[in-house]
Amino acid sequence: MEKQTIDTMVGKLDKGMNRQLKQYLDICARCAICKDSCHQYVATGDMKYLPARRAELIREVYRKYFTKAGEFVPALYEARDPDDHLLDELYDSAYACTGCRRCMFYCPFSIDNAWVVAAAKGILIAADRGNDMLGQLADAALFKSDNMDMFRDIIVNGFADIENELREETGRDVAIPVDVAGADILYVALAGSHSIKPAAIIFDAAGASWTLSMFEGSNYGFFLGDPAKAKLIADRFMNEAKRLGVKEVVITECGHAYRVAEMFYEAWAKEKMPFKVRHILEVIDEYIKDGRIKVDPKAVKERVTYHDPCQIGRNGGIYEQPRDIVRAIASDFVDMTPNRQEQWCCGGGGGIVAMEEFNDLRLKSGGKKVEQIRATGATLLACPCENCRLQIAELNDVHDLGLRIVPVMELVAEALVPKA
Amino acid sequence: MDWFSYLTSGIGVYVGLAVFTGGMAWRTWQWSRTPKSPVRLALYPKPASGAGRFGKLLTDTFVAPQSFKIAPAVMVAAMAFHLAAFAAFFGHLRLVHEFDPLVALLGEEGMHTFAAWTGGTAGIVMLVAVLYWLGRRAFGPYKNLSVPEDYLLLALLLGIVLMGDHLRFVGGLPTGAYQGWFASVMAFNPSFRPDLAASLTRYALDWHMLFVDLFLIYFPFSKLTHAIGAFATNLVRTGE
Repeated sequence: MEKQTIDTMVGKLDKGMNRQLKQYLDICARCAICKDSCHQYVATGDMKYLPARRAELIREVYRKYFTKAGEFVPALYEARDPDDHLLDELYDSAYACTGCRRCMFYCPFSIDNAWVVAAAKGILIAADRGNDMLGQLADAALFKSDNMDMFRDIIVNGFADIENELREETGRDVAIPVDVAGADILYVALAGSHSIKPAAIIFDAAGASWTLSMFEGSNYGFFLGDPAKAKLIADRFMNEAKRLGVKEVVITECGHAYRVAEMFYEAWAKEKMPFKVRHILEVIDEYIKDGRIKVDPKAVKERVTYHDPCQIGRNGGIYEQPRDIVRAIASDFVDMTPNRQEQWCCGGGGGIVAMEEFNDLRLKSGGKKVEQIRATGATLLACPCENCRLQIAELNDVHDLGLRIVPVMELVAEALVPKA
Repeated sequence: MDWFSYLTSGIGVYVGLAVFTGGMAWRTWQWSRTPKSPVRLALYPKPASGAGRFGKLLTDTFVAPQSFKIAPAVMVAAMAFHLAAFAAFFGHLRLVHEFDPLVALLGEEGMHTFAAWTGGTAGIVMLVAVLYWLGRRAFGPYKNLSVPEDYLLLALLLGIVLMGDHLRFVGGLPTGAYQGWFASVMAFNPSFRPDLAASLTRYALDWHMLFVDLFLIYFPFSKLTHAIGAFATNLVRTGE
């Protein structure tokens, strides 16, 4: 490998170095306690999917260039220059990682291997080895914001079509407000009406002051491992929120979109936002508890279970609100085992559903989730994350689970009782 | 003292302690001057208060209940080793000063018996734990995850424990002989008492100390910096 390429990769690692990353790279004991926490390693037994091994690939380069001991006695630490072989393995292990951080939960030192994997993706991008599909999807999102004049009418007309559909479906006029300055809420949905319609119905029923973002929340720059692009993609709705002067940005049922907006964005932007960020289920739970919307407690008659998406649960802290919502509309709710912070990743996070090359691994790694769902005996799964839904829908087909997979807010929209 | 004893049980002790202390201070300084991650890396649920965070930090670092849950065998070995190592370290303080209240309670003979049992148990527990780790690493599926550093550290630990156990179970010398040697080291004038100098047991002490010296010297450049680093990384988990 050319020296210039190596320098670029090492420079990238240096630029992204921070205290936590350095400590994660320094202190891992390679005890492999993390092995049984990773759905991919458990499913395949392949070392490259063992969380500590994923990080070890970066550690080998780190020791060579960032530690004196590794520089002087490389053989002791297997410190080495990055080469094509290392980058091949790094690509597989980094882009396959769903970033669920279950390994961090069980690690006795709380080593965040997903954070190390993020650094790995940075190196791959520096070596021009980033994932093409994720790169294209990220660029497409930026193209949209760079050429908004071209897209504006198409998008607004699309929203008008959704209003018409809602009128037909509900028999009421449910508005999809756009560009409303001074609204309380900027709602950030996904591409497609499925994430807009239920929210619109619920906001309408609650009498909320809201406006719909022109931009979707999904962020392929985040999955790609390019924080600069990820920030630009999130900038689109964050700047929109600032421009409109809303009180809060409410993110739809999408795990990574919520985590980007709530956990990452202010750090990337290096400024405190003048509004708060919440997940739509936090808002709906509040509406139900405050009596702003009324729901039929027996609306869901079949047995229902709930899947904790990693980015909302373990990495976002939203555990109870979705459960409270589901319990408010269903009489037969059964939790999976394990759940909450110990919940198994479904196998569909981290952008892996968009990367065909990992399809076999992805479906195989969903085995634990299939076992969990089967054990509940549920026929309905409430699932507040798009990627999780896509993955579990495929698992549903492959394993013949006989499951209906529905966003939580869709269940709520169906369970709404008109106020007297 | 011959040159080997002087090197391992004399000057080596100073070098080992100096490198260990300086190295760990340097490593800590290195970490502290590296900017913190601007992104919040907590796991949820996280404690709501500072006291809660501190409590969770101590629990995660000293007990690691979640690790026990997923890998009980490894964690039992790890905890047993760390507790035994702590007990052994504490027992070695007899070399600095006899535990007078315990001697008053147990009598001199009783104290020796108590030390023989506790020290012997700690030595055996450490030996079993190190052999378990060595076997797990060398013959388990984690062989491919291991690097030479892992084996070096286990080899040093095995050397320390084997020679320590030899001193405990086979050495046959009174505690006073080792107390005399340690007092001379603390006085910066390393020497052996005549009974120790005349005994073949001194070779076991020299090798024990050689492994200890090397272990201390290598410690700051190894993954064993988790002894300090784990506090920082476990704190991040609680919501820093």
